[in-house]
Amino acid sequence: MIQYLLLLLPIISALVIVLSSQRAAKWIALIGSTASLIVAAVFAVQFPHWTTGGFWPDLNTSPILGNFGVDLKIGVDSVSLLLVLLTVFLTPLAIAGSFSAITTRMREYYAWFMILEASMLLAFMSRDIIFFYVGYEFTLIPMFFLISIWGGPMRGPAAIKFFIFTFLGSVFTLTSVIFVAVRHFDSTGTWTFAIADLVKFSSTQLSAREQFWVFVGLMSGFAIKTPFFPTHAWLPLAHDQAPTGGSVILAGVLLKLGTYGVFRFALPMAPIGAVECSTFFAILGIIAILYMSLVCWVQTDIKKLIAYSSVSHMGFVVLGLFALNPIGLQGAVMYMVNHGLSTGALFLCIGMMYERYHTKDMEQLGGLVSKMPVWSFFMIIFTLSSVGLPGLNGFVGEFLCLMGAFVAEHDQPAGYPGVLGPWYAVVAAIGLILGAMYLLIMLGKIVWGSLREPHGQEHAQDHAQDHGQAHAQHAEIQLPTDLNFREIAILAPIALACLAIGLYPKPLLNAVEPCVKDALVNYPAVIDQYNAKRGLVNPGAPVKQAEAKP
Amino acid sequence: MEADVGKGYARFFNGVSIFILAMCTLVMADNLILLYLGWEGVGLASYLLVGYYYKKPSAVAAGKKAFIVNRVGDLGLAVGIWLIWVNYGTIEFNTLFQVWQDMDHGVGGFDKSLIPYCLMLGAFGKSAQLPLYVWLPDAMEGPTPVSALIHAATMVTAGVYLIARTYPLFTLHPDALATVAWVGGLTAIFSATIGMAQYDFKRVFAYSTISQLGYMFMGLGVGTTFGAAYHTLTHAFFKALLFLTAGAIMHGFAGQLDLRKLSGLRKVPGFKIVSWTMLIGCLWLSAFPYSAGMLSKDVILVQALGGKDHGFVWLGWIGLITAAMTAYYAFRVWFRVCAGPVFYMPGEETHDDHDAHHDDHGAHATAPTSTTSHEFHPHAPRWAMNGVLIVIMLGAFATGIPGYMEMRGESNWAQVMMAHSSAFAGSVQAHVTDAVNFGMNPHQLVELFGTIASLGGIAIAMYFHLLQRKSADKLRAWLLAHNSIRWIPVAMENKWYVDEFYHACIRGPAWIAGQILHFTDKHVVDGLMVNGIGRIPAALGRLFQPLYNGVLQGYATTMAGGAALVVAWVVYRWLTSGVAA
Repeated sequence: MIQYLLLLLPIISALVIVLSSQRAAKWIALIGSTASLIVAAVFAVQFPHWTTGGFWPDLNTSPILGNFGVDLKIGVDSVSLLLVLLTVFLTPLAIAGSFSAITTRMREYYAWFMILEASMLLAFMSRDIIFFYVGYEFTLIPMFFLISIWGGPMRGPAAIKFFIFTFLGSVFTLTSVIFVAVRHFDSTGTWTFAIADLVKFSSTQLSAREQFWVFVGLMSGFAIKTPFFPTHAWLPLAHDQAPTGGSVILAGVLLKLGTYGVFRFALPMAPIGAVECSTFFAILGIIAILYMSLVCWVQTDIKKLIAYSSVSHMGFVVLGLFALNPIGLQGAVMYMVNHGLSTGALFLCIGMMYERYHTKDMEQLGGLVSKMPVWSFFMIIFTLSSVGLPGLNGFVGEFLCLMGAFVAEHDQPAGYPGVLGPWYAVVAAIGLILGAMYLLIMLGKIVWGSLREPHGQEHAQDHAQDHGQAHAQHAEIQLPTDLNFREIAILAPIALACLAIGLYPKPLLNAVEPCVKDALVNYPAVIDQYNAKRGLVNPGAPVKQAEAKP
Repeated sequence: MEADVGKGYARFFNGVSIFILAMCTLVMADNLILLYLGWEGVGLASYLLVGYYYKKPSAVAAGKKAFIVNRVGDLGLAVGIWLIWVNYGTIEFNTLFQVWQDMDHGVGGFDKSLIPYCLMLGAFGKSAQLPLYVWLPDAMEGPTPVSALIHAATMVTAGVYLIARTYPLFTLHPDALATVAWVGGLTAIFSATIGMAQYDFKRVFAYSTISQLGYMFMGLGVGTTFGAAYHTLTHAFFKALLFLTAGAIMHGFAGQLDLRKLSGLRKVPGFKIVSWTMLIGCLWLSAFPYSAGMLSKDVILVQALGGKDHGFVWLGWIGLITAAMTAYYAFRVWFRVCAGPVFYMPGEETHDDHDAHHDDHGAHATAPTSTTSHEFHPHAPRWAMNGVLIVIMLGAFATGIPGYMEMRGESNWAQVMMAHSSAFAGSVQAHVTDAVNFGMNPHQLVELFGTIASLGGIAIAMYFHLLQRKSADKLRAWLLAHNSIRWIPVAMENKWYVDEFYHACIRGPAWIAGQILHFTDKHVVDGLMVNGIGRIPAALGRLFQPLYNGVLQGYATTMAGGAALVVAWVVYRWLTSGVAA
């Protein structure tokens, strides 16, 4: 029952927050989210399938939506559990990171934050596709309010664009899901929305053409959420305008909903469609990596830079996913976790800087190491993690994603033939250079160099207008020059996690491996067929095909 | 070098510790991924330490440049690792070489012959060879002990180590080793030309490091891994010695590095040990007969001159010419700085205020400060610095031992060590005595011309920089006065404009592309497509005026819901009809 407790805790905290006072709200939120973290940790310890794959707990519950087989089934495999852990790990940190930044309507803020956590957890833990969709979509509402109430000067347009964009995409996803469910009903006579059943049905019973369209439908939602290259337009504005806590969750967890969707639904449900589209999406991923790196380079606003870099980084995930082999998928899952940690932490760092200087403009601000050495230390660690320095977490996912794409050739002896190939990886790997370039240039401007501070803004004397009404009512929380204990306590756990994963990723890779193999179970045969159609023959394939035909 | 490090000891020694950890990981790794970890780790340490004086814009830029240029090489290394994985299914050295021995077990893949070239790119990045050498001279912005340890003795030889370690794979393509040799040889002579014309003597040593690394690659390429490894060893000592003497002088003269502004230091009280250890370093660098530098360099040159194909003989001659240039620029520094009449001007560095750092490292130094040698009192190095110099000098002497034993035909530990490593497997190690030039075998040839080159270089340096110092300026003025040869000194002093070329041809276009893409992203992808589509519901709303309720979320729902319905209906109809048919 612990899994239900995990879901209910944030909701209960949200209710308590609504009933409590403004002053107590942040503490209740912190306690509630920490409790979730503890419960999730207990859950993770109890989880029996870390190295074997498979879902837990495996409960048969009765449908709750009458005749349509919609069923609140909660259960995780190790990939879901990793993302659940990421969520419950980042949420208390993001809440603690909002303590001094949020000075108005605190009850609402923290209540929405807890609702956000609950809906993310629901999306990651649900084994019923309708409840996944509910969680997936419901994240939009709290995030919409977080951006539109507590955001920057452009918060209104940012929130609306974010909402409409992602909502529009996910409608197509829902269409695909319903289509598969209807086809399932047509052929078996029963309704179900259980992920396992639908995946099994869809991947084996649907025709190539149906799979293609199911895949396109699913992807159109996930691609916007991730975001893939041409549909990223909502992201820079939303990240930029969101309050720090919102940016952390947006970059750290919400983007992963998209790639998690690809991993959990799009790839297993429609292998034929995925194989046919894999070059297309891999190219989009590469474009995202290179194009966004160049765009990052010319940014002067540090928060926008990190926001754009998210798109670039998600390009690596896309490439890893569409390598369609275990290496690439392992890399993609690792990258999701690692990007959540490092980019989330970078947004926290930027938030802390913003609270002190009220500007994110790198032209006005720089050389902070001489004034804020502790902050600079963390900033450097997380930037290097983002660069993909071996020994820190970013490298693991990046290297595996690229390697996955590299080895995804038609004649792989390892049993996982692929559609991509070395050139995809080599071109994408130029992103390694560009990534180092824009991130180190950022460090060079903001951390190193001689101290530059905005004129007349020594220390938060005149608050920026966008928080004007807040200033009128509440006294500004005075912050020391460098990080205070609370801020160090926020960043240090993330830094430790980055280091631990970077130095010893093996447990995580082992945990991910069986799930990845499950997700890819239909692929070798499908890819061989696809490659045979292109005239590329896998030396190991004919035997398999002969077995598969009768 | 306390004054060199200044405030922030902890940061400095953190960087050094990271470096030692990473370097040990690099050389002790038994597989390529761990090697890659160390490889990037030393890059990180280099980044942090080069940018140690973080208030100096040039130091920050240099650290960044080192890391980014190295990343280009790392890309090659990464691709090389993937290729090895694809083709051999392992990245562990022992297994890899085993598989390589039972070659071609039928695993096709991306072309194997590319493996050595990819690894080469990584090695050239880390070891500052021709297309990618530009970061190393700038890396001299770091504290001098860092230059001595990282950018002369250890980290920069990681590329040599990589090729030696994966030597068997370099037989996968017949021209791979020849490419290594030629890049090394050309780098050696190219950077020697720049080193001859620099006035900042730390830069001179930096270019000489690049040049000596070129010799090492030449040795690897022509087939004497022993020579390459041995030269790495001897070079580590004498170049570290030279850098540390440079550091001692910087410390003593407030950061003065311009060899025109220092003279006769051996007579300045307290600078005796510095001057004489520097002399040893310069002798070893210029391959003075029977010095360790000569012993290791000759192994390489003999092998090159004995080579039969790929034009290795020419390479050997390039190496000999470079040796003369090396002797010239090494003693140009020594005769200018340590010999001659006593004269000095302090640099602009003041010890208690690091904000006062200025970038005065260009070839055209800024106007000298008004302080004259009468008012300025140099800080003589204390016993700690002198002791370090003497220890390293003794080390430089000791590195000669394997070379002497080799020369006398005895087996020595260095040779034995190489013979048992992967660097020996697959290497040519040809016997070279039968090749003949000018009626001499390569050994005699190198002995004769090597000695001529070394002594000749020293003699020329002595003439221009000790006996007739005016004539050096006259020569320069004469060269500059003639339009047809004017470009020679200009280009050499400006480092052949390679930095400017890279800036204009790579960074510039990429920057412009970035601006264009940013503009596109803002105005086309976002502005035209997204906001344009976003206006459609509003336009529809105006058509259905009564439904116009003014709430944007309403449009969202209407638009999304309507679109979904339409699409769902179309797709469903089309698919079911397709299934039925």
